[in-house]
Amino acid sequence: MTRRDALAWGGVAALVVAALVWAAWPSSGPPTAAQRAHELATELRCPDCQALSVADSPSSSARAILVDLQRRAAAGQSDAAIRRVYVDRYGESILLKPSSSGFGILVWALPVVAVALGLAGLGFAFARWRRQPRLAATPADETLVERVRTG
Amino acid sequence: MKATLGIFALAVGASCAGVGIFVLVMGLVTHDERQLVVGRRFLFGVLAAAAVAAGAMEWALVTHDYSLKYVAENNARATPLLFTVSGLWAALEGSILLWALVLGGYLAFMAHRFRARAADPLVAWANVVGLTVALFFFALMLGPANPFRRLSTAPPDGRGPNALLQNHPLMAFHPPLLYMGLVGFTVPFAFAIGALVTGRFGEGWLEDTRRSTLFAWGCLSVGIILGAWWSYEVLGWGGFWAWDPVENAALLPWLTATAFLHSVIVQERRGMLRVWNLSLVLSTFCLTILATFLTRSGVLNSVHSFTTSGIGPWLLVFLAIVAAIGVGLIAWRGDRLRAPGRIDAPISRESAFLVNNLLFAGLAFVVLLGTVYPLLAEAFQGHQLSVGEPYFNRMATPLGIALLFFMAVAPALPWRATSAAVLRRRLLVPAYAGGATMLIAVALGTRSVTALLAFGLAAFAVAGVVRQFGAGVLARRRAEREQWTRVLPRTVASNPRLYGGLVVHLGVVCIALALASFGTFTAKRDVTLARGQSATVSGYRVTYLGSTNHKGSQDTTIKARVDVHHGGSDLGVYAPAIKIFPNTAEGIGTPSVRTGWLRDVYLTVVSSPNQRGPVTIGVRINAMVLWLWVGGGVIALGTAIALGPRLRRTIRRPVERVLPPPVEPQPSEEPEAVPV
Amino acid sequence: MRHPARWAALGVGVVVAVLAIVLATQVGTNPQAETERSQLVGKRAPTFSVHAFDGQTLSSQSLAGKPVLVNFWNSWCIPCQQELPSLLQFEQRHAGDTSFVLLGVVRDDTTDAARQYAAAEGMTWELAADPGSSLALAFGTRGQPETYAISPSGVIAGAQIGPTSVGNLETLLAAARTVR
Repeated sequence: MTRRDALAWGGVAALVVAALVWAAWPSSGPPTAAQRAHELATELRCPDCQALSVADSPSSSARAILVDLQRRAAAGQSDAAIRRVYVDRYGESILLKPSSSGFGILVWALPVVAVALGLAGLGFAFARWRRQPRLAATPADETLVERVRTG
Repeated sequence: MKATLGIFALAVGASCAGVGIFVLVMGLVTHDERQLVVGRRFLFGVLAAAAVAAGAMEWALVTHDYSLKYVAENNARATPLLFTVSGLWAALEGSILLWALVLGGYLAFMAHRFRARAADPLVAWANVVGLTVALFFFALMLGPANPFRRLSTAPPDGRGPNALLQNHPLMAFHPPLLYMGLVGFTVPFAFAIGALVTGRFGEGWLEDTRRSTLFAWGCLSVGIILGAWWSYEVLGWGGFWAWDPVENAALLPWLTATAFLHSVIVQERRGMLRVWNLSLVLSTFCLTILATFLTRSGVLNSVHSFTTSGIGPWLLVFLAIVAAIGVGLIAWRGDRLRAPGRIDAPISRESAFLVNNLLFAGLAFVVLLGTVYPLLAEAFQGHQLSVGEPYFNRMATPLGIALLFFMAVAPALPWRATSAAVLRRRLLVPAYAGGATMLIAVALGTRSVTALLAFGLAAFAVAGVVRQFGAGVLARRRAEREQWTRVLPRTVASNPRLYGGLVVHLGVVCIALALASFGTFTAKRDVTLARGQSATVSGYRVTYLGSTNHKGSQDTTIKARVDVHHGGSDLGVYAPAIKIFPNTAEGIGTPSVRTGWLRDVYLTVVSSPNQRGPVTIGVRINAMVLWLWVGGGVIALGTAIALGPRLRRTIRRPVERVLPPPVEPQPSEEPEAVPV
Repeated sequence: MRHPARWAALGVGVVVAVLAIVLATQVGTNPQAETERSQLVGKRAPTFSVHAFDGQTLSSQSLAGKPVLVNFWNSWCIPCQQELPSLLQFEQRHAGDTSFVLLGVVRDDTTDAARQYAAAEGMTWELAADPGSSLALAFGTRGQPETYAISPSGVIAGAQIGPTSVGNLETLLAAARTVR
């Protein structure tokens, strides 16, 4: 790659990094109680729905849970404590995001392992292909072709 | 009478399939070509039988014949005609009948298209596989899922379809399109099995089935988008994709089929990735059967709560047999599947497609694992857990972003190897477009890293597509000297696969943009309003005008009238409703949606039957949802282009002689012996 | 077996076989089973304080020492209307018995409608409103009707999700009395 190329691509990288840094710059402090309540609402299943979250469900019990979550978050209860309260009442199936302890850890770990294995396999394959010598013309081949061309 | 006709047709269909399989297998084993030619005719028999059975059911539905159990449960005299006709697929038995009908159509197409090669063992084996699948579905209908069961006394009126299934015309189109997609993958599957059995797994079977696979893929894509549209307009929760098990079930074969469509290009060009392609097409077919199983067996909690019946075990056994045969065949032929070529460089189109395969396989694995995990948890540890939207969003989004990147880059990569100069010429300007878009998005308020990457990669992809179209058009103009108005269509027609594919990529970009915007710019708030009161959400002022409370025989419907204003202009009066069934705790909301180019106003009402006074209205200002449906349309357009015929070059100017005329060798001269 | 495709095929085959077995064992089980049982049986009952229709304040403290049957109901849900005769019969059978408390809590309804309905149907036991559904949430209810039996020491001894019957109420009461 020439120097001009490097500069050109560097410009692109600069734009992308600038945008990412600007976006990720912490603009507010730690999440407010309302934000925490909303986040928890997306993780809890509405008890009388099939699979909708409390945040999405229009049912009245979902609305009541939302108010309860806001009240608890404002009172300072931690996310983990609030989740435990609801698991105690409704069972583990109330959590839409399986907890990362116990059996639930597999559902998070397996895909990462699978993709990592796939990429590793790809890396090995490329390394193996690179080690195999590429066919290149030898001087004998060159003379042969020359003779056919001219004679 | 109709029931007898229907059952008779099903029995004829099953026999056609059975006899056809017998004849074809005999012909293959004894190498008798005549039997192979005759055996092909039974595929048409299957279509005829399925058509007669479906026709009998439609006849029963339209004439409100309640002596049939299926009609009594899924139709009422008050049901409008559109939903009467679509009652064919309103419940389990009818949808198996629809499956058989679509399968018959594809099998007849297969028989007709390959009529000249009926004696070819590859085609004959494909016919055998197709007939076996058809036999299975007819057996289902003659056994546990019989649509023509009769009632001893016919009730005066039927129960009517589920309320959710008859308040939107999309219900008439979503299932047939979905089935035309899912069932269509039987064709490449049949040919893949044929190729493995006959040992002819070069590229012949790919070319033979290319159009069928593409057509099925297009139908499935549009079917899935229509399902999302229906969910948005009808279910009232404000979203369009909930990672519900039934939604995931239809998505899984789409993922492997998309990988397959791309991966075959590598096999056509360089004869590589053969095991990948065979595995992908086998997986796609198995996943369509798994989809039917998950949807119909009642094994998982779902919004699509179909009545369950005994077909679960049948489907599971069939799935296990098909998977075992497929895996066994690949294991048997494993040594001969090794490709002669190899990938030369890590940055090349082949390796991009290989990484593409991995990413799609990874995504399919994530979706499959998340969907069946509650079952695994229950089997291994006894109690139930849920895997819902937060999991899928967290795991699938990085893979989706990576796929978006490759979608943008791969069409610009040359085959075999590339150089820095080529990359710069083809990708630099689109990359700058992507970076600039990211900055603009942050300026507009995007703070999520994934949304930002999605915006940037979408712009990158669009710029790349425009560049490629432009390059093709300019080259053709220079070469053919055509007028500007004709150059573009002719460029597209000169390579419909490439340009159709690029249009499909544009459709995907639309959808990615819509998804990223929806997550970033959507505002929602519940407002509790007394009559005449207003509230403002994100610049839209909603005024509650009043509500009506209508108690029906089975339910209570509360309809709230809401006036919406935006920036001074009146957008009209909308009427979201909620229907509360006293037998269950949940109400079914009917949202009222005002679709706009950039934003939708989505209104729902939250209420109890006895509530007087202030009403709680859910107001959502959804961003860019229209572009999801537009994206679906663009995907359909691109698929249609890619299916089109290739423009044959007409010779305008004769090619001049470029070689000198051959020199007559003199008899005395001897040609030199050239050592080899 | 040396070709990698064969190994990969074998691996995939094993995974598919495990999946098929798991699916086979789960066909026929009810995915909703957990939502039809209460998770709180055997655990401490939540503390509560509600205002009854007759004006007095009832709290878990004031009711401690006696078994309490808490019934979540409302005026429009059909299973609630179906179980009402059983509740009336149960109340009649134990008329004058002050050794336990039957408490009806309104779930997802307006107080006015509930009052009117209760007066019309002759529901004479303690009835209370539940503003903000806090008690309904505390008990982990998913709908109505649901009935919970609390022992004198404040432990949930039994629960009925769905309409109850006279026999079922007696069983719940007996369970509440026996749990320490």
